[in-house]
Amino acid sequence: MEALNQQQLEGLNQTQLDSLARDLDALRDETLADLGERDARYIRGIVRLHRRMELAGRIMMPLGFIPPFFVAGALSLGIAKILENMEIGHNVMHGQYDWMNDPTLNSQTYEWDTICDADSWRLTHNYEHHTYTNIVGKDRDYGYDILRLDESHPWRPHHLLQPLKFAALSFFFQWGVALHELETRKLSKGQITLKDKKAFGRNLLRKSSRQVFKDYVFFPALTFPVAPFVIAGNLTANLIRNLWSSSVIFCGHFPDQAQSFSLAAYENESRGQWYYRQLTGSSNFTGPKWMHTLSGHLSYQVEHHVFPDIPAHRYPEIGKKIETICARYGIPYNTGPLLSQYGNVFKRILRRSLPNNLGWGRPKPA
Amino acid sequence: MTAQPTPLKTALHWLGRQVSNHSNPMAYLDPLLGSIDPMLVRGSVAAKVVSIEEAARDTKTFVFRPAGHWSGFKPGQHLSLTVEIHGVRHTRTFSVSSPPDRWKQDREITLTIKRFPGGLVTHWMHDHLREGDILHLGDAFGDFLLPANPRPLLYIAGGSGITPILSQLATLGDSDYPKPVTLLYYVRTEADLVGARLLWDLEGRWRRFNLVVHTTDDGELLCRDHLPEDLSGHECYLCGPRGLMDLSAELLGQAGVPEEQQHSTFFSAPQVALESDELGGTVSFTRSGVEASGDGETSLLEMAEGAGLKPKHGCRMGVCHQCACTKKEGIVVSRLTGKSSLPGEETIQLCVTVPKGPVQIDI
Repeated sequence: MEALNQQQLEGLNQTQLDSLARDLDALRDETLADLGERDARYIRGIVRLHRRMELAGRIMMPLGFIPPFFVAGALSLGIAKILENMEIGHNVMHGQYDWMNDPTLNSQTYEWDTICDADSWRLTHNYEHHTYTNIVGKDRDYGYDILRLDESHPWRPHHLLQPLKFAALSFFFQWGVALHELETRKLSKGQITLKDKKAFGRNLLRKSSRQVFKDYVFFPALTFPVAPFVIAGNLTANLIRNLWSSSVIFCGHFPDQAQSFSLAAYENESRGQWYYRQLTGSSNFTGPKWMHTLSGHLSYQVEHHVFPDIPAHRYPEIGKKIETICARYGIPYNTGPLLSQYGNVFKRILRRSLPNNLGWGRPKPA
Repeated sequence: MTAQPTPLKTALHWLGRQVSNHSNPMAYLDPLLGSIDPMLVRGSVAAKVVSIEEAARDTKTFVFRPAGHWSGFKPGQHLSLTVEIHGVRHTRTFSVSSPPDRWKQDREITLTIKRFPGGLVTHWMHDHLREGDILHLGDAFGDFLLPANPRPLLYIAGGSGITPILSQLATLGDSDYPKPVTLLYYVRTEADLVGARLLWDLEGRWRRFNLVVHTTDDGELLCRDHLPEDLSGHECYLCGPRGLMDLSAELLGQAGVPEEQQHSTFFSAPQVALESDELGGTVSFTRSGVEASGDGETSLLEMAEGAGLKPKHGCRMGVCHQCACTKKEGIVVSRLTGKSSLPGEETIQLCVTVPKGPVQIDI
């Protein structure tokens, strides 16, 4: 699909946007009113599954000197971490289950099994990314400050290394996420200094040492004679989680069908415009049910951005209605199989590592 | 009494936090333990319903067996009870109506609960709770306590406000309390008398106990003549509807009972603006000890900021939940949906809610 051009962007007038907001608000109210036992049962079932998989992984890991146990242990712990980060942590911290009044599922107190401190995540993701979604220069998730995704972003020679940076970000994704609040770009431009980030640094140190201690000191020490296998297994589990979650996240906003916006778009934005930006700035991917669960239903990125605090397992049923609403207003509903979305992102990363007038996909003369 | 945690316990707790990422590591395996047996959970205190008895009109006594790690209570104290209805946890406060001895001997406690007009939790408990169901309890609290040294006692109770007093009377009766005890019990009709069996039984076997029941539907309203002539040295305990409590305090004051000898406890959730449709109200931010009043246009976030507080917040449009916090009591209305909340404790978003009547926020 072609990226939206300026004419299409301005295609909806304010009356249509207001009507879009009403339709989506009605869908939101209808879904919120229906939340109840089914949702509570779902999330508690996932929490139980997570505990079982983590326990199974930790128990199998010391037997890692037997290859099938190594594979099963690392996979089990890796999937546990994926479930905990994506379907539990990410969604709980969005406030999707705050209505349950369950202190273990509270958005503001939840802490998750990754390097990134939960408070830092709540600030940079829930607030910054979800409020300023895809506004270039304001939403730092758009390219994570280190990737060049748009033609309008001036090319520099260091962008040639972009494919390597992309690979590194995928492999060390939990560290990338954890360092996000550091705002390296502002630091390097001197707009802020390290002093401004002191509190962040303290939290980062506390949380990262906790995570490193757990996976690479405590559990290996507990199983001393086979510690190397446990270290290797935990490393693999973390790697599995990093590769999977980075792929899911990249496919949410980086495919070229997802629209980016200028800062001007945000000023005096109406509710309809806000919804419009969320709808067109995100991309879904299709796949079997387990894939949606393991992605924390971020495979329904469009639905997630429209209703970030509605329990994510509801997105598949909401999705059909959103697609109908999009069709009614002629708004593109971005979706495609995971592999083709990922391929699209990868091509874009490669393409934008080169100057605009070089390589393939050069803009055709009008 | 809570013992100081040993260094080993502290160390294990620290270790548990590192490994589980949960502030209460004991709760980490609760999802699994709970699926084996709900009574095994460690992060909260489960309590099983042993039996349910009719206590009076619209009133039932629920007999619970709390998990062994519950910390117990003193006669006259209350506890918070958490029930889950359609996936939503509701926490309400009730007085324990049984004596501590029953907890020590049989591991049972009772809560005697009347249907609360317009309420949700009490009706649900009356209509849906069955033997064998599991609820969750908090620690007991409250300073409606018996005097340290025996003194003559006067109780003034109204309706189901008798419940904490039943626990105290059973305790006193069993210990053969050496001083006279008078209970003035106001009920609308005989059918509303709660704890009749215990009260008649005590009256029969405890000679220092003087029980007087007044039925208000027959016009027997509290007046000076109902009080004992000589109140000197009495400790007075009041529990009942607001009107009865206010009148009692006034009469006792006139009779020369100093305030420090009057003890009262709340009777039921205050009927916070249940009937009012007006938006706006006074908000107390309990942790900061600050109050603010709003007109129904100003969000709770703006009210807090106007009062000089700096609550955590983000988008100010209900998206990011950065300002989510606990409402202890009162009704709030969502600006997004126009829906009113329930009156009890729950998580709310400050930026998109306005008060409807008095509200308490835990920030």
